Amino acid sequence: MIFREVEDRDLIAQARRGHVDAYNVLVSRWEKRVFNYLLRLVGHREDALDLSQDVFLKAYQNLRKLDDPAKFAGWLFRIAHNEAYSLLRKARPEGELVGEPKTAESSARMFPMELSLAVRGALARLSGDQREAVLLKVYQGFKFEEIAEILDCPVSTVKSRVYTALDLLKEALAPVNMGGAQ
Amino acid sequence: MSCSSIDSKLDLKAYLLGEMPQREKATLDAHVRACTNCREELERLRLTQTALLALEEEEIPQRIAFVSDKVFEPRWWQRIWHSGPAMGFASASVLALAILVHAFARPVGMPAASPVNTAQIDVSKVNQRIEQDVNARIAAAVTKAVADTEARQNQKLTKMLEAAELQRRGDLAAVQQAVRYYDQQMSRLMVASNDVVRERSGQ
Repeated sequence: MIFREVEDRDLIAQARRGHVDAYNVLVSRWEKRVFNYLLRLVGHREDALDLSQDVFLKAYQNLRKLDDPAKFAGWLFRIAHNEAYSLLRKARPEGELVGEPKTAESSARMFPMELSLAVRGALARLSGDQREAVLLKVYQGFKFEEIAEILDCPVSTVKSRVYTALDLLKEALAPVNMGGAQ
Repeated sequence: MSCSSIDSKLDLKAYLLGEMPQREKATLDAHVRACTNCREELERLRLTQTALLALEEEEIPQRIAFVSDKVFEPRWWQRIWHSGPAMGFASASVLALAILVHAFARPVGMPAASPVNTAQIDVSKVNQRIEQDVNARIAAAVTKAVADTEARQNQKLTKMLEAAELQRRGDLAAVQQAVRYYDQQMSRLMVASNDVVRERSGQ
């Protein structure tokens, strides 16, 4: 992990000097994670892809503003978070900001396994804030402090969202877990 | 550590998510081994986490390739601008060039020309104007030199005349004095000769 951070830092330094190929490598490393994060936030593949492109474009344009290259991941996901919320505000000006993933029926073609359907259904029942906190913590592996910076909120708020979401997910997935345990 | 002394559920979640300090983690490990309730709760949380991670990531449907476009590359001046040594060298070069242009384009002693639109400059007119200006300045300089010479000559002549007049007056005074002395001597000689004649005639 440390070795990779060093390499990312080198790529960022080269990209800052105008080496597009270096940035291309950086994008190839992060595009899948960013795309899946956005997909689970907005629940739409085309939107997630468009947003991913916007995220990496903005990141390149603002790369010189990144104070600490070691914090590139958090900085990149903060851009992704802002882009997703910007899209969702346009789509739902007065409603729930964070989009809900497709229901089990519609996502059956993408995730045919029963477990995956159950997980998607459980995630869909969370609030937008809780779901995003789980995405960043469980799926992206950020620390609470990093998530607080990405979401621009206190660490205590992040902890509360993640812990509450875990309780809800534990209840929602209890039948699956019991079946798997048997 | 006991279930009554801690908020074990929160600690178990922090433990599960890797947010617990190493020292507290060892303490919780020991507690979980001894406490059935906490061990079962931790197991449920682990199963939940495992189920969540069963949701596989999708492959991105289209690689993001916009970065290869030349449009997004910084322009040459942006690279220079963000390069400290290069920017310093460029600044020094511009300054040196400005000094050279100033030195060669502006004649010594001439006032700085007012800004003009270089696109409208006619070279022949400029040369003609410069020639007229130079001729006028030469004529003025010659006239002034002649006038100065004449003035100096007149002043010198005046001084010579004054000196000659003084000399003439001095010479005239000396002649007059000599004449008066001669007259006096003649008078005395005449008186003396008369006295001699009278004495000889009286004898």
